[in-house]
Amino acid sequence: MSASLDKGVRVLKEVMDAPIASYFNSCVHCGLCAEACLFYTETGDPKYTPIHKLEPMRRLYEQEFTLLGRLSKMLGLSKPVTDEELGEWQELVYNSCTLCGRCSVVCPVGNDIVYMVRKFREGMSAAGHAPEGIKGAVKRTVTIGSPMGIKLPAVKAQMKHVEADHGIPIPLDQVGAEYLVMLSSMEIINFPEYLAAIAKIMHQAGKTWTLCSEAFEATNAGMQIGNSDLARVIVSRIVAGAEKLKVKTVISPECGHAYTALRWEGANLIGRPFGFKVQHIVEVLEELRVAGLLKTVGMETDRLTFHDPCQLARRGGVIQPQRNLMNMVAKDFVEMPDAGFMNWCCGGGGGASAIEEGEALRMEAFKRKKSQLDAVKPARLVTACANCRIVLEEGLEHYQMNLPVIGLTEMIAEHIPDTAGGD
Amino acid sequence: MDPLQFLTWVRGTGLNLALSILVLGVLWRLIEIYGLGRKADLSAQRDVSGASGWHTIFRRSVPAPGMLKTSPVTYIGGYVFHVGLALVVFLFAPHIKLIQSLLGVSWPGLPSQMVDFVTVVAMAAMVLVLIDRITKPVKRFLSTFGDWFTWGLTFLPLLTGWMAVHHVLLPYTLMLALHILSVELLLIFLPFTKLFHAFTVFGSRWFNGTVNGHKGVPV
Amino acid sequence: MSISNDREFKAALAKLGDVQRRQVAAHFVQQVFDLSNDPRVKAALDLAGRADASAAELSVAAAGVNTARVESFTQCGRDTDWHSQASHFVARAAQECVKPEVDLSDLWEAAMQSRMARICKALAAGEGTKDREAEVQYQALETILKVSGS
Repeated sequence: MSASLDKGVRVLKEVMDAPIASYFNSCVHCGLCAEACLFYTETGDPKYTPIHKLEPMRRLYEQEFTLLGRLSKMLGLSKPVTDEELGEWQELVYNSCTLCGRCSVVCPVGNDIVYMVRKFREGMSAAGHAPEGIKGAVKRTVTIGSPMGIKLPAVKAQMKHVEADHGIPIPLDQVGAEYLVMLSSMEIINFPEYLAAIAKIMHQAGKTWTLCSEAFEATNAGMQIGNSDLARVIVSRIVAGAEKLKVKTVISPECGHAYTALRWEGANLIGRPFGFKVQHIVEVLEELRVAGLLKTVGMETDRLTFHDPCQLARRGGVIQPQRNLMNMVAKDFVEMPDAGFMNWCCGGGGGASAIEEGEALRMEAFKRKKSQLDAVKPARLVTACANCRIVLEEGLEHYQMNLPVIGLTEMIAEHIPDTAGGD
Repeated sequence: MDPLQFLTWVRGTGLNLALSILVLGVLWRLIEIYGLGRKADLSAQRDVSGASGWHTIFRRSVPAPGMLKTSPVTYIGGYVFHVGLALVVFLFAPHIKLIQSLLGVSWPGLPSQMVDFVTVVAMAAMVLVLIDRITKPVKRFLSTFGDWFTWGLTFLPLLTGWMAVHHVLLPYTLMLALHILSVELLLIFLPFTKLFHAFTVFGSRWFNGTVNGHKGVPV
Repeated sequence: MSISNDREFKAALAKLGDVQRRQVAAHFVQQVFDLSNDPRVKAALDLAGRADASAAELSVAAAGVNTARVESFTQCGRDTDWHSQASHFVARAAQECVKPEVDLSDLWEAAMQSRMARICKALAAGEGTKDREAEVQYQALETILKVSGS
């Protein structure tokens, strides 16, 4: 057994728990998980069946944690997990799984397959079998502090740009602010308007907020590759920043996995409950709306529909707020089929969009989103995740669909009257 | 061994053996699985009523939105044979008598013609589900020896029981003995095959529902 | 008149007429075009600079620029190449120029996205981010307004 396979096996054995054991022993090979997975439904290839993506892990479980399995192994009757096999499984575990979680919701015996894929990735990455694209993100997180190589100067540049645009100052390192705003690399690089929107919204609501120079990055590459140690490093930085600035709430940006990492896995990664709240920006906007602190003017009149980011809705529990917010500013908001917690993945989450060799597969999987859109024929598509936005745009471009994609926070902010000093 | 001796054996020693293996096997497997434990969740819970492990145990019996039309045979065939099996096992007078002799409890049964009908329907559903497993690409791809073997283990008691009641093919005593033997095989292999889902389905649904319920998503 | 800050800049932009807005937007983007050099963007800017651009021509140019924009996004998790990110913002700015109608907010967007492109270049070079493109835009607008007699 090679050193890296050894490491992978060791890590996998550490993550095995009662739920995983229960799930492997409950599977009856009904194949329903495949019908819920867009990588299967749009390609027809059975190898993308979610439970099949876990086959080496299942055998390892059997051979290490069951009496009969161990006996079998001792007698040389079981098929060992090899380095080569893990290599073969890389495509299934990374390229063809976005951790969207639909499989976990449909399995009749209750298997939480996405939970298992997430754990399997721990072993795969420890064994060195993770895609180059995500490995790069991990390396940059370790060496630079951000998976996409973003440093503080880039954040400051954006801050200045936004201040010029709206005349609202962006606070940095303000102790005692109510909200600590996190950004994802994607926003810093691709969508500076997100920060502008936050500034406008907070200004109107009269809430104090701040960025943190030591912890502005919310994107968690550790989550995607399946490396809890790395995921912990990123979360710890955020926790340290939040505690240093004594904020009440940390706002997770329009990024799916950043929310999952901080809101649901964060406390478990650092081994203690948080002393502050964590909310997705959509949750914050909804709270402000309900409190009457988010006042908008005018409505969009064209037909709009909403794409639910998987990590926000199905995996995060934020399902109704985005709808309430849409109704605030959209006269003609229509739901696509399967909207809400059963919505279909954009095809690029979980690190998938960073995998160059997975692009063709993603484009095929996009046919599902395309069919949802074809059913409602919107003029524009709204969503609340920077990665979804880009993946959607690429898919739309590939299928020659002329459909602009916008961010929800940005859209809401556009309906807040300009009052700032710059004008 | 003549048929009567065979029948006496399966009714006595065989049954004791099978039940012992079943009970010990179930206990051992439950400990092996659930003894692994799981870490507590330290993240703040999102309270949404109706979202919990207990809810999911029941709710997961209903197909998720949009799924029924993707695989009607899986759902409908599956339900029909599961319910059919339960009805036949627990509401056929001779079975109730057996349970009474073992556990001291009894309840009214269904008329035997109804049980007969249910048995035939359950068998038909099982055949349908088998055909589906052979013809559908995903199911065929996933299927292993265990799937075919457990299908046989589950089908044989229905078939042999029906044949015994109708005095088909073999003399009654022998048919009955074979029926009881087929049930004993089912019981012996239950803890060690996918049939164990009969027990783990509750744990799995509960874990799944708990994790999602913690986030406020009713699954 | 002299423009020395964004308030004055916005007020001056508001004075422009319909056709002028498109041309001025294109001018701002032309000033950062060297950060892109994408032929589709060039075609769009050339078209926007003409007073007689037809709706059909604009539509074709818009499609080309959109493709250029989508192609140059930085994917989540990839290493940021600030050079190519600059070209992304140039494409975004150019998109504003070939809309069926260019209103004040579109013009402002074109200016802002052009500035973003320059910021990316500065980040790539490891330089400071003094808002130099803003100054360039102020001077350009001053000249344009002087020439057109406002």
